Amino acid sequence: MNEPATAATANVPPAPYRRIARGALGLFALAFVLCLAAYALVSVPGAWFPGASSQFVGARAFTTNRGTAIADGDALAITATDASGLALIAANVDLRSLDYPIVAWQGFGFPANADVRFLWRTDYAPNKLNSLPVPIVAGRLAPLELARHPDWIGRVRGVALAVRGPLAGPVRIVGVKLEAGGVTGELRDVVGAWTTFEPWSGTSINTITGGADVQPLPLPTVLVVAGLLALATWFALAWRRRELAGFPAAAAIVFLAAWIVLDTQWAANLVRQVAATRAQYGGKDWHASHLAAEDGALFAFIEKARAKLPAKPVRIFVVADAAYFRGRAAYHLYPHNVLFDPFTDTLPQAAWLKPGDYVLVWHRRGVQYSPEEHRLRLGDGAPIAAQAVLVEPGAALLEIL
Amino acid sequence: MDAAALIVGNALAWCLGSALLLAMPRRSSDQTAGEVAWTAGAGYLVGAFLLTVWMRALSLAGVKFALLPIVVPVAVLTLALAWLARRRAPGRAMPALRAAWRDLVATPGLDGAARFAWWGAIAWLALRFTLLAVEVGTRPLYPWDAWTQWATKARVWYELGGIVPFARVTAWLAANGAAYFDASPEYPPTMPLLQVYNSLLLGRWDDTLMNASWWQTALALAFVMYGGLRSLRAPPLAALAGALLVSSLPLANAHVALAGYADLPLAATYVAAALALLRWIAVRSARDAVTTLVLAVALTQIKNPGWFWAATLVPGFIVARWPRHGVRIVVAGFAAAAIVLVALARFQLRLFNYELKLTYAPAWGDLAESYFLLGNWHLLWYGALGAAALAWRSLFGPKLAPLTMIVVAGLMFLFVVFGFTTASYYITDQTTVNRATLHLAPLIVVFLILAWQSCASDWAARHARPNAPLGDAPTSSPAPTDASGPAPAANPSAAG
Repeated sequence: MNEPATAATANVPPAPYRRIARGALGLFALAFVLCLAAYALVSVPGAWFPGASSQFVGARAFTTNRGTAIADGDALAITATDASGLALIAANVDLRSLDYPIVAWQGFGFPANADVRFLWRTDYAPNKLNSLPVPIVAGRLAPLELARHPDWIGRVRGVALAVRGPLAGPVRIVGVKLEAGGVTGELRDVVGAWTTFEPWSGTSINTITGGADVQPLPLPTVLVVAGLLALATWFALAWRRRELAGFPAAAAIVFLAAWIVLDTQWAANLVRQVAATRAQYGGKDWHASHLAAEDGALFAFIEKARAKLPAKPVRIFVVADAAYFRGRAAYHLYPHNVLFDPFTDTLPQAAWLKPGDYVLVWHRRGVQYSPEEHRLRLGDGAPIAAQAVLVEPGAALLEIL
Repeated sequence: MDAAALIVGNALAWCLGSALLLAMPRRSSDQTAGEVAWTAGAGYLVGAFLLTVWMRALSLAGVKFALLPIVVPVAVLTLALAWLARRRAPGRAMPALRAAWRDLVATPGLDGAARFAWWGAIAWLALRFTLLAVEVGTRPLYPWDAWTQWATKARVWYELGGIVPFARVTAWLAANGAAYFDASPEYPPTMPLLQVYNSLLLGRWDDTLMNASWWQTALALAFVMYGGLRSLRAPPLAALAGALLVSSLPLANAHVALAGYADLPLAATYVAAALALLRWIAVRSARDAVTTLVLAVALTQIKNPGWFWAATLVPGFIVARWPRHGVRIVVAGFAAAAIVLVALARFQLRLFNYELKLTYAPAWGDLAESYFLLGNWHLLWYGALGAAALAWRSLFGPKLAPLTMIVVAGLMFLFVVFGFTTASYYITDQTTVNRATLHLAPLIVVFLILAWQSCASDWAARHARPNAPLGDAPTSSPAPTDASGPAPAANPSAAG
């Protein structure tokens, strides 16, 4: 007698596939945990479970011994070196070196070829100034592991950071974190790097980092190693049971599970980004949004300039020190017929300018205007007859006469 | 009000393209699984492109951009095509839509964990698209090239009501106001024209909401991926996985959220053209042939490298057309192309601002970092390598050879660009390398799914248990099936 297929049985996938999924996912989860544990145990400097807790020395605790530095919010901005090309900031501390095997300077804006050194003194050799170069990664200072350094001994009495110039721009130091390390601390650093918020920046259209700029252990690496381990184990077990038919399914399940883990990290970042975008632009109309944007001040000036310009499009030459502002000014001025140099900071030649043209200046050195003589000079070019239409600090719109 | 205007106005592009696809002659055996999704996704890409072609024609004829002259003729054409489609296949549309809805909701053949995965994937996609919609609908135009090279044209053309030329500095100075300037005057007009269209719908210049086309492109890409894979005999879960993979690529998401570049539209159009070609190879339908050609032309009008991407489809065609010797012909073609490039490099050939040079100095380390360590692609390249390794026996077999040759041609194009041109600099600074790779990434997802499919099918055949009772045979996905072409459907219930 044929048993009619019921709804409960007609679409039930065969038991082997459920078993494959459970087995593959279980092995993957186990492999992931094991990979993390192995990494933590191998990479932890010093004690696995230290008694001390991490210490943070903020920017305010530092004094500037050489060079020039100014307070910039919570950070100390080193703006210039001294005559010998050195900037040095220092702070007094008193802590046992054994308890803090990791020293992580929190600074950013460092050029890749900057010469930065960590300096310290201990009570073991109070007259000796110890130093170690600090690597730069993506403009930030990489952590230093000092557990096996012969001079990281005794009680540390003072820490300092030396930056050798010249400095193209200010470098900022938020402080220095002396980390107790340990397995928990190491895992916290690893997971913290994965879950660091990565807001949109000018480079996001080209590259997504996937968390912090500097990561001790990239998440894709762990997932791939864990996935391969899981699949190898699954294969070995299935080989013994002569049940290899489900291997492609197991591989697909592990791959998709790893993908979802990565995508969960990305989705969480996206949620935070959407919240930040809504906070910056939410509820604003087009005009208010642009005033709230990074170039809000420029936009406001351009709006005033547009009000002074004729309704019919005119030729406008845009000059600014920074390519960003040249491009943005031009963008806001369309459909006026703008000319700007997208790549280099050049000035238009005087011969290019005709009566009825305009010149818009935004924070550009080398542009001189005499209101008495109605003369405009662009760099070393010949003076041109011009009339100031709109003038604000660092910005001007001039009509060529 | 703005949302309504954008939805209604952009529905025109979706309807135009879908109607055109449906109006083309087709055989009854062309009804395949995933057809509704394919028609919608490919339809949008075709329709949006044709809409911009119409706008170019209007501008050429001296008609000022406005909603009436753009929308009315296109709407009339859409209605005519819809009528033609209904005439060609009376009574097919509603059953096909009902079948697609049933497949979506009832998920026949899926149960338990598989059904949970199905709905979980759809919910994940819905969340992703919601987040992207909020982001792109809130943030004004943001990325650099968008406001120096692309939307510059949109703003001028919208305000002046027509396409006016852009020129380099010397020509701009000589034109005395008759030409405009931006950082890339020679860029094609398709994406700026879509921004113009959206601005016309809004009745104002709005460089936030005008980017709605990018979100729609991502949605169309998801439909194309699902429908295309289903029509190439991937099971529903595998096809949905493909849609999920492509819709969750972080760099692709960034290109939606930070809209304004042409790379994502190029990527979507390229994979749609490749899938249309693979569909044509399977059933030799005139409809798929025309779709391939239209999308290949669209590639050249979206971004300048589109010419080269369109050319990478040719190896797939050759392999399909001459199955016995196709692979050898293509390999010979690659060798000939290499010789020609070496010859041209001596003349310091410059194409689209990149100079060809014989010095081979790619930054492999930075490329590996971009593909395997950073967050751009999740595990796409690991998956592609793994699938290629597992399916190596069948990569050049009749089922996969056309797709494999297109992928190889695409990879070789990137290899030449980043190994033998001045673009190699852009690997180190992680800029153009990733955006150029984005053009190929969706096709890599297709390759990953179909190669896995082929591997799973071969594996199941080799490792099937002897004398197993029939009840032990797997009946639902991820059961492997041949990735050889559309599954002919005897009734409409298989469509969708």
